[in-house]
Amino acid sequence: MSQKRIAKELAELVESPPEGIKVELADESDLYQWNVYMEGPEGSPFQNGKFLVKLKLPTEYPFKPPAVSFGTKIYHPNVTNDDKGSMCLGMLRPDEWKPSSKIAAVLQFARQLLVEPMPDDAVEGRIAEQYKNDRARYDELAKEWTRKYATA
Amino acid sequence: MSLSGIPWNHFDPLNHFPPRQDSTPGFYPQYLSSSAFFGHALPQLSSVLYAESPAYFNMNALSAEEMERFQKLSNEFEAELPGPLVSPKQSSNTVALEYANSDPTFATKTSALAVTHPFMRIMKGDGNCGWRAIAFGYFESLLNLRNPLQVHQEHERIKSLNVLLQQVGQEEHIYGIFVEATEEIFTQISEAIQRGVRDDQFLVDAFNDEYNSSAILCHFRFLTSAWMRLNPHRYQAFLSLPVDQYCASRIDPTKTEIDEVGLQALVDGVIDASGFAVEILYLDRSEGTAVTPHQLTQSRPTAATIRLLYRPGHYDLLYQPEPTVNMEPVVNYQYAMTSNYPAWDQGTLPFDVGSISMSIPNLMVDPSFGGLGASPMPADPSSPFRVSSPQEMYPQPPMSTPPPPMPVASPPPPPPRMSAPPPPMSSLPPRSTDGPQIRLNPLVMKPNLSHSLPVTTPFKNSPYNQAHFQNQDFEPIHWAPHESRK
Repeated sequence: MSQKRIAKELAELVESPPEGIKVELADESDLYQWNVYMEGPEGSPFQNGKFLVKLKLPTEYPFKPPAVSFGTKIYHPNVTNDDKGSMCLGMLRPDEWKPSSKIAAVLQFARQLLVEPMPDDAVEGRIAEQYKNDRARYDELAKEWTRKYATA
Repeated sequence: MSLSGIPWNHFDPLNHFPPRQDSTPGFYPQYLSSSAFFGHALPQLSSVLYAESPAYFNMNALSAEEMERFQKLSNEFEAELPGPLVSPKQSSNTVALEYANSDPTFATKTSALAVTHPFMRIMKGDGNCGWRAIAFGYFESLLNLRNPLQVHQEHERIKSLNVLLQQVGQEEHIYGIFVEATEEIFTQISEAIQRGVRDDQFLVDAFNDEYNSSAILCHFRFLTSAWMRLNPHRYQAFLSLPVDQYCASRIDPTKTEIDEVGLQALVDGVIDASGFAVEILYLDRSEGTAVTPHQLTQSRPTAATIRLLYRPGHYDLLYQPEPTVNMEPVVNYQYAMTSNYPAWDQGTLPFDVGSISMSIPNLMVDPSFGGLGASPMPADPSSPFRVSSPQEMYPQPPMSTPPPPMPVASPPPPPPRMSAPPPPMSSLPPRSTDGPQIRLNPLVMKPNLSHSLPVTTPFKNSPYNQAHFQNQDFEPIHWAPHESRK
């Protein structure tokens, strides 16, 4: 049953993708692993970057939330600065997840987070501190990482 | 119905329990008595906490990083809960045993509960127990009533509630799969009734299938949320948040346990129109020797009641005693009394053995009496001679409290009996080869059968008649120890 909904959402996203977002299956035979290519939003330090975001859907989808992680290294308080690049926030928490939420909304939420990080919910405390207290330095580093890792 | 009837005082003592009820293991004794809490949860937590400060635990000694790590562990902590999502029907003595050594109020109330409600189903405490108890109880009641027309009507009614979902802007392709899961259950119930399946295992299985179960509960959540948003005036006064926000944070997310306002809305919006009653029995420390009942539906005659047991943070399903006197032995008894006639072929009987009239042991049909076509039983349920359903007539007497003895009038009438005495042999009409070998007892052979139906006389004073329990003013006689016995 979950496949029906996933296929429908995938078709919608391919047909009319939200701004700056392009999705495809990581493997044509597996509906549950998606590759999402996300353009860094204008006005953010991630502008001109192109980020690979991995979306993994649980078999219990939509009763459990998808997992979102950055395949491209990114300097951001809400993304773990390790090889996992995981992001777990608000609507994606197991106890806040609503089965009525759609993947499109999840991806738009993730992209909006690039514009407005949520330092109070940070997974990288040091980057969050910097974001709050030394925005210039944060912007500088984020731009540098974008140039280094997110431009082909 | 309005919420004003909710006994808020029962909630107040519980307010110190965190709002996300089921995620607080240890607050209800299911955990205390099982190994789940001490055997699993505590060591895991304590090994995390104590590892950093072996001497004793001191919050201030922890660095910010360590605190962060603990916060993360705590956020991700999920108690491993034993047991199925919906348990088989089991004796509610287990609850009494759980509380046997706890607070005396709980011990008293649970042992009384095991008598008045001898059966229960345990719901898994995974954050959905209240939702699951109501949904399962609803479908189970529907199955037990075995009325195909009613199943069909309920199926159509629930389907028609899609309108609510559209009105609040839910998209069909989102809620469609949830509605499908619910519809599938209706179909299975219809088929089970048509095939005469008595076993409710298929329903238990359906609710223990994680995906299926989640889909049905999600459907019920969607309906409740839509209902509340469309009827905010009924609920706003009971909420500290605007209804929209309440629904977004307490109804819509999976794994948020239902609270009393949500439960009322679920009953109002989804269950009430079925005509079923919903009753909660609160097991708390309030005064008294029995659980405190609260009806969520208006009092009205009802074919079925969904009964929930509420313990702080958890809901289970409860069942009253099942009727044990079933009709077939009664019919056979009658037959055996009459004499050794050849075995019946039910197909040749000119009446329906399964009909309710056959549950009345001494209703005898004589072919010579008024013709077989005319049913001697009044059909109008409002008639004073309405035949009680087997449930009303034959509930199993409570296990340890026999019904209070009836005052015996003088001169004493013959002791009440389940059946009239066998007709005197001399009055036996000649045996005929066609039709049932049942004769009307001469004691009830009166000109106007409808006024002499034996139902009234032997049953009214019968100790097996528990119709007085239906009376709202009924109070059982309480046994009080005599001075000398204290």
